[in-house]
Amino acid sequence: MTVEARSASSVSPAAEFWRTFRRNKVAVGALVVVLAIIVVAIFAPFIVPQDPYDLKSLVLRDARRPPGYVGSSGIVHLLGTDSQGRDLLSAIVYGLRISLQMGLLAGAIAFTIGAVVGCFAAYVGGRIEALIMRIVDIQLSFPAILLAFVVAAMLGQGKSQLILALVFAQYAYFVRTAHGAASAERQKDYVQAALSVPMSGWFVVTRHIIPNSLPPLIVVATVQVASAISLEATLSFLGVGLPPTEPSLGMLIANGFQYLLSGRYWIAIYPGVALIILIMAINLVGDQIRDQLNPRLRK
Amino acid sequence: MTHLLEVTNLRTYFQTDKGTIKSVDGISFTLERGEVMGLVGESGSGKSITGFSLIGLLDANGSIQPGSSIRFNGRELVGLNERELRKIRGKEISMVFQDPMMTLNPVVKIIDQIGMAIRAHEQVSDAEVRRRAVEALRKVQIVDPENKVDQYPHEFSGGMRQRVAIAIALLHRPQLVIADEPTTALDVSVQAEILKVVKELVAEMGTSLIWVSHDLATVSSIADTIAVMRHGKIVEAGRAREVLHNPQHPYTKGLLDALPSRSQPGQLLASSATEAAGRMDFTGLGGSAIGADPDAEFVKAVGVEKIFAPKAGFLRRLGIRAGLAKEPKPVNAVKSANVTIARGEILGLVGESGSGKSTLGRILCGIYPADAGTVTVGGQPVRSEKGKLGTRVQMIFQDPFASLDPRRTIFQSVAEGPIAHGFCTRQNAREYVNRWLRAVAFDPAMADRYPHQFSGGQRQRVAIARALAMQPEVIVCDEPVASLDVSIQAQVINLLMELRRNLNITMLFISHDLSVVNHLCDRVIVMRHGEIVEQGPAQQVFTAPQHPYTKMLIDAVPKLAA
Repeated sequence: MTVEARSASSVSPAAEFWRTFRRNKVAVGALVVVLAIIVVAIFAPFIVPQDPYDLKSLVLRDARRPPGYVGSSGIVHLLGTDSQGRDLLSAIVYGLRISLQMGLLAGAIAFTIGAVVGCFAAYVGGRIEALIMRIVDIQLSFPAILLAFVVAAMLGQGKSQLILALVFAQYAYFVRTAHGAASAERQKDYVQAALSVPMSGWFVVTRHIIPNSLPPLIVVATVQVASAISLEATLSFLGVGLPPTEPSLGMLIANGFQYLLSGRYWIAIYPGVALIILIMAINLVGDQIRDQLNPRLRK
Repeated sequence: MTHLLEVTNLRTYFQTDKGTIKSVDGISFTLERGEVMGLVGESGSGKSITGFSLIGLLDANGSIQPGSSIRFNGRELVGLNERELRKIRGKEISMVFQDPMMTLNPVVKIIDQIGMAIRAHEQVSDAEVRRRAVEALRKVQIVDPENKVDQYPHEFSGGMRQRVAIAIALLHRPQLVIADEPTTALDVSVQAEILKVVKELVAEMGTSLIWVSHDLATVSSIADTIAVMRHGKIVEAGRAREVLHNPQHPYTKGLLDALPSRSQPGQLLASSATEAAGRMDFTGLGGSAIGADPDAEFVKAVGVEKIFAPKAGFLRRLGIRAGLAKEPKPVNAVKSANVTIARGEILGLVGESGSGKSTLGRILCGIYPADAGTVTVGGQPVRSEKGKLGTRVQMIFQDPFASLDPRRTIFQSVAEGPIAHGFCTRQNAREYVNRWLRAVAFDPAMADRYPHQFSGGQRQRVAIARALAMQPEVIVCDEPVASLDVSIQAQVINLLMELRRNLNITMLFISHDLSVVNHLCDRVIVMRHGEIVEQGPAQQVFTAPQHPYTKMLIDAVPKLAA
C-alpha cells in the first residue's frame, strides 16, 4: 500500500528517523540522560567542587565521611567521601568522563575497523572473505572479558592500552554484523547497477555498501559502547585497567567494595548507580534505534 | 433467495505513522452462488484489502469502519469475534494467496498440512485424512498424488505448490473462495494450467470465486463479472463482456488502452501517465549512437556458455572422497548462444523463469563473465579478464525499488557514473543530469529527493535516465516493466520507443510478457532451459511460430475475450 502523501520538501532518511524516534518518550528521556552525562563529562572541571586527581587537596581527616558531610575546607560532600578523603561526587563525575571516553573511543575505533573489514570481506568474497570471517569466528568463541583481560594484562596499565584491549575484544562483533548486512546489500540490484556502469569496487563499497550496511551497525554500536564501558569498569575493578591516579568508576567501586560490610555503603554504591544509569540510558536509546531499524516491527 | 455475499458500504481504514489510510472506502457489491467475480485494480487500489476484509484477516492497525456490512448467506460478518470468524474461515470462505512459496509451511509434509486444514473443522481418522488428501491433490490434477502427499513443499514446483494451496482452499467445499493474485508469481504456461483447473473445479463444485488481480486479460478469461477498483472505490462493475468491450468509466478505458495487446505494434500506447509526466525533452543530448552507420552485427555474441557450478565445501569434498556425497550438479544456464543485434534495433528476449534469459543479458552487458564464447559491441569486447570494459552497454533492472540506492538522492545516483567516467565534471554535473532527467520527463526540481519519495514509474524513469546519462550505444533492459502497473508500464514502453527513435539506441529487451515484446521489439529470441529455440522477426514469430515451445507460450497468454 503506497502512501500518497509525499511531502513537498526533501526529507532525508535521517530526518524521518528522528520524527519516529521522538514518539517514544522513554527513549527520548534516555537520550537526554546520555547527552546530559556527556555534557557533564566534558565540562567536569568547571562543575565539580574538587579536583579528585589533585592529591594535595585531599585531607585524610575527611576520609570515609557519609553523604552531606561538610569537609574541613568547607566543601559540602553531597555523596560523601572515599577512603582517601576524595569528594565522591567529583570522583564519580571524573569517573564517568573517563568511562565515556574509553567506551566511545573504543566503540568508534571498533566500529570503523568492523565496517571497513566486514564490508570489504563481503564485497571481495572467496578465500579472503573466508579467512577473515574464520578469524572473527574464532575470536567470537572466546568471552570478550577474557580477551580484554589478557590483552590488558599483557600491555599494562594506561588509557591507550586499555582502549586497545577493548577494541580487540569487540571489533569482531562489528565485523560479523557488517559482513552480514553487506552480504545482503551486495546482492541487491543497485549494487549490480553501479557495477554495470562500471563504477570502481572502492566506490561501490564506500558509497553504496557501507552506507546501506550502517543501520544494523549502529544498533550494535550502542550495545557495544555500553558493554565497553562495563568491560572497562570490570577490568579496572579487577586491577588491570586504569592506573589508580585516574580513578574510573570501576576502580571507585573496587575501592569502596571493602567498606561495604562496614556500613560505609556510599563509597561503592554511588559509583555503581552512576554506572548503571549510564549503561541503561545507552541501552534504552539503542533499543529504540533497533526497533525503528527493524523492518519487521515497522508499521 | 438471498445473495451469497452482499457487501454494503465496506470501509477499511489503516492507522499508520502517516495518518489514516482509507484502503477501502465505501464499496458495495453482491455475489451470487456459483458466480466468478474479477476484482481488478492497480497497486494501492485496495483490491487485496477488500479480499482480506471479507474474512477478517487484517493487520492489527487496520479495521473495518462502523456502518460497513458484509452479509454472507444472510449472516452479518462485520463485528463477529475471532472465534466465530475462524469457524467460517477455511470452511465456508477460504483464501488462496499470491505467493505459494509463502503459504505452505516448508518443514511440514503436504499430507500433514492438508490434515491440519481438515482437522481445523472436523474430527477424522488418519486413514481418512490420507484418503481425502490424495483425493484433493488428484482434483487439482497433480500427477501421482499417492506418493506426492508424503513430500515436502520444496519438492514441488511453484505451479504445483499453488495447486496444493488451491486444493487446501477447496477441502471443505467452501461456498466462497477468495483468490488474491494467485497466478501473478507464476510463468504464463503454468498460469494457463492453473486457470484451467480452477475454472473446472469452480464449475463442478458450484463455488463462488472472487479473483483479485491486476491483470485484465487473466480476469477476463475466468470471470463472469468484473469490478474495477481505484483508490479504494469501485469505479465500474458489470458483466465481464460489457466492462471489457464497452467500458463506461474513463479509468477503465485508460486501463484497457494501456494494454499493448490492444494496439498496433510499434505505436505509442495511450497512457494518461505519459501525459501526466509531461513532455520528454531531447534537446542538447549527446551520444555517439546518433547518426552512426548501420551495422547489422553491432552487438555480436558467439557461442556464449555459462555454467553455474556450485563449489563443494570442505565437508562435502570429504564426503565425495568417501563416496558418501555426490558432486554438486552444475547448472548450464546458457548453452552456446549466438545473438546478433543490428544497430538501432530492439531485440526481444523471451523465456520463462529459469530459461537463462537474465544471465545471457548480464553477459551481454559485461557484468558476468562468460565461460566460453565472445561478446563484442562494434567489434570491441565488452569484458576482459578483470571486469567490464567501457561504458557503451548499460543496463536497466526489473525492480526500480531495488535498483536505486535508497541512501542517495536522485541526483547523486544519476551523476555518479558520468562523473567517474568523465562525461561531465563535478561542477557541471547538475546541468548535465538535468538534461537527462528532462529526457525521461522527470522534473529536475525533484532531483534532490530520495527514491522512497517517488512512485514505481518515476523511479524506473530515473533508472533509465541513469543508464542514458552514460551515453550508451546499447541498453540491456531486464524485465523493466514487469513490476509496474499497466498504465505505468505503457508509459515506460512509450519512453523506450521514443529513446530508440531519437537517440538511435540499440536495445536488448528481456521479458516474460509476450504482448509487451510483440509491441516493442523488431526481432525476438525465445529461450528455454538455456537454449535459444527460435528467433526471427517479431511479427513472424508471433503469427507463425515454428517451435512447439513458442506455440505453447503464445497459446498460454491470456487474451481479452474477443
